[in-house]
Amino acid sequence: MSEREPTQDELLAMAYADGELAPDERARFEERLRSEPALAREVAELRRLELLARHAAPAEPMDHEWERLARSTGQRGLWRAGWLSFGAGLLGLGAWGLTCLESSQASWVPKLLVPLAILGALLLVGAAVRARARTLRYDPYRDVKR
Amino acid sequence: MILTTTESVPGRTIRETIGLVRGSTVRAAHAGTDAQAWLKNLVGGEIEEYTKLLAEAREQALDRLEAEARARGADAVVGLHFSSCEIATGAAEFLVYGTAVKLAPRSS
Repeated sequence: MSEREPTQDELLAMAYADGELAPDERARFEERLRSEPALAREVAELRRLELLARHAAPAEPMDHEWERLARSTGQRGLWRAGWLSFGAGLLGLGAWGLTCLESSQASWVPKLLVPLAILGALLLVGAAVRARARTLRYDPYRDVKR
Repeated sequence: MILTTTESVPGRTIRETIGLVRGSTVRAAHAGTDAQAWLKNLVGGEIEEYTKLLAEAREQALDRLEAEARARGADAVVGLHFSSCEIATGAAEFLVYGTAVKLAPRSS
């Protein structure tokens, strides 16, 4: 447990997360949240802790078995091997498809458009993943279990 | 902030009705979670990935309702209702609504 006194910003963030700021104070604080990512992360972390406290419920009997399974090398190995085989198979199929297309008698139109479409799909997935990765740290609901 | 599904707050008098407040969200699981959930669907039992998804949506919608009620100066939200439906496969929509009210001070 830290003995450090909370800073003025930490106290403000706590009051904001608890809804205790007056409307004008809240508006000023929200203005700061727009330009100070560290402060926004502090508020998100406080909300995450509040959510965890809200859900402090006794564990259910099945939880212990799920935890044992999650730690089990065999179970983890099965999932890992399954995902690896599946991913490698998909990648291989894609590469094989592109090779077949390239060596086929098809005109240059599908030879150009199919890889372009695949590239576009990959870029779109990349953009979605990037957006999620950037906002994940501000999402206090990610640890809610049930 | 008092949130209750009843039409009144026991022991307290409603001084003023502010009006309808609501919170909603649509949350999705990522493709890996969906794939695991689909596999669990084959063998039965709880699909805890979707239990978690629904709980995340419920809490976010509740927080949004509370934030709106607070911004409108409410002390409590009564007549709280929960509603859930599916917009897209693997996504959970949660809507929470109720009536924001101001309570009379406690009589000593």
